[in-house]
Amino acid sequence: MTASDSPAADWSSGSLARLADLVLLVAGLSLVALAMVEGWQVFARYVLNDSPSWTEPVALLCMKLAMMLGAAAGVRAQRHFGFFILVHAAPGIVQRLMLAASRLVQAGVGLLLLGWGLRLSIETWDVSMAGAPIPQGVGYVPLWLGGALIVLFACELLVRDPGLQQEDR
Amino acid sequence: MAAYYLFGTFFLLLLLGVPVAFALISASLVTVLYLGLPSVVVVLQTAAGASFASLIAIPLFIFAGELMMRGGISDRLISFAASLVGRARGGLAQINVLASLFFGGVSGSAIADVSAIGGTMIPQMVRRGYDRDFAVNASISAALAALLVPPSHNLILFSASAGGSISIADLFAAGILPAILLTLTMMITSRVIAGQRGYATEDFPGFRAVLVRLVAALPGLLLVALIFVGIRAGIFTAVESAAIAVGYATLITSLVYRKLNIAVFKEAFTGAARTAGLILFVIGAAASFGWLLAYLQVPAAAVELLTSVTSDKIMILLLMCILLLVLGTFMDLAPLIIICTPIFLPVAKAFGVDPVHFGIILVLNAGLGLITPPVGSVLFVGTAIGKIGVMQAVRTLWPFYLAALFVLMLVVFVPALSLWLPAVFR
Repeated sequence: MTASDSPAADWSSGSLARLADLVLLVAGLSLVALAMVEGWQVFARYVLNDSPSWTEPVALLCMKLAMMLGAAAGVRAQRHFGFFILVHAAPGIVQRLMLAASRLVQAGVGLLLLGWGLRLSIETWDVSMAGAPIPQGVGYVPLWLGGALIVLFACELLVRDPGLQQEDR
Repeated sequence: MAAYYLFGTFFLLLLLGVPVAFALISASLVTVLYLGLPSVVVVLQTAAGASFASLIAIPLFIFAGELMMRGGISDRLISFAASLVGRARGGLAQINVLASLFFGGVSGSAIADVSAIGGTMIPQMVRRGYDRDFAVNASISAALAALLVPPSHNLILFSASAGGSISIADLFAAGILPAILLTLTMMITSRVIAGQRGYATEDFPGFRAVLVRLVAALPGLLLVALIFVGIRAGIFTAVESAAIAVGYATLITSLVYRKLNIAVFKEAFTGAARTAGLILFVIGAAASFGWLLAYLQVPAAAVELLTSVTSDKIMILLLMCILLLVLGTFMDLAPLIIICTPIFLPVAKAFGVDPVHFGIILVLNAGLGLITPPVGSVLFVGTAIGKIGVMQAVRTLWPFYLAALFVLMLVVFVPALSLWLPAVFR
């Protein structure tokens, strides 16, 4: 039995699968919120004849949340765009090394987004966004939250090593 | 030297199997550190790249597309297409081409489109006695036309990648004639091959049935018209029309078609989030890469390099077409548009090519790259769905490929094909 076959590994993989489901659900709800905010913008502009200023920053926030959470879920599901023909063609051990290198790079990028995102978020928390009474720091929350999830999912793939198989979630 | 680091790291990581977005950010980080700039620049540019208001249209169009696909609008469009062209020789291939034009391109990923439409059509064609290679080749080439018409957001992506200065309404109008031309060319090619191989025709359901299916498909067709006319007439912005498309698709699929329940709606918004997240992340990642391209004056160097090779406009366009075809073989559409626009558009402009015309060339060219043997990624997906080897498909792909190449050359060298309609509508 390898480390990735143990009950503890199964439990953690199952928990992360549920987390990935939740992440995707929140990303999807952000898109629903985005559509509603833009829908309100259209209604206010054409029916009420009054364009609210808050819709754009809120819509951008929803989009960034959908982007970062969708991207993080995409890491776990191994669905990101890429050129994988050489990986597919590589023999066993080389393929595993290439996949490990790729996951390390993804975790590294996640770490970069987490570290700087968090710092930018803290440093700009006292300043309001233009057009909406929301701290600018909130705008960076998707960046570090997505970064943290990317690190988590990339490290899980590194440990679990599911090969090139795409996941449903 | 820094540009070598940028491109070298990017291509090395890409070949290693690192996803495009992560390769872009990593290459930017390596270059920024080489230049002695703070690494926060990469994070700030990535965040800023995904903060353009015009980009909001992209996830909303993807959402509308998912609702169309899962809520029954697409089924009715296919059914209508079937009643129109099914009785022609090789009817299912004709249906495939027309259905792709009607609702393909919604995901922004040609690979996802072929998986969705080809996943339905290829097995059906095989069951009806079509050879697998023909079913695969017809499906992967059919997806090309859809890239140029709404609700495909590839042209919005091009406009955003060009700095948002190119009119989306003009781009949508410019894509119509090339898309129709490509559709007709693919239908003729399918018809000729189907005739040679003696494939079956579908029964004509009668004019009454065509009318019934047209009425059923009308809400879907109206959605595309709504998007196009709304933007073209200046009534809505692209973002507003995308939001209206989501609202309209929700209403039609829930109240008229009665197929949209909570479970289907959840599938639609999570499916949309899955695709939108990937595309938007590439856009953000490409922003830091693009910022470095500008910082290192790569577009100016590209103009200089190509001018030193030739000063002939036709040669330059051919050279760009070849480069894009090669790049298109190993990169999906969205990243290719985002990365290549800032490099190639200044070159095209320097040689007097209209930016709208260039947008159509770029999208069509990049799409064709995806089915270019031996490594086009859509070719791989199609053959995987059709359960045949890549070489088996490639042996009989050439009539479709040459037909698409012929249309591409027409689009490249007859600017009126792209520029006449925008001028008429303006």
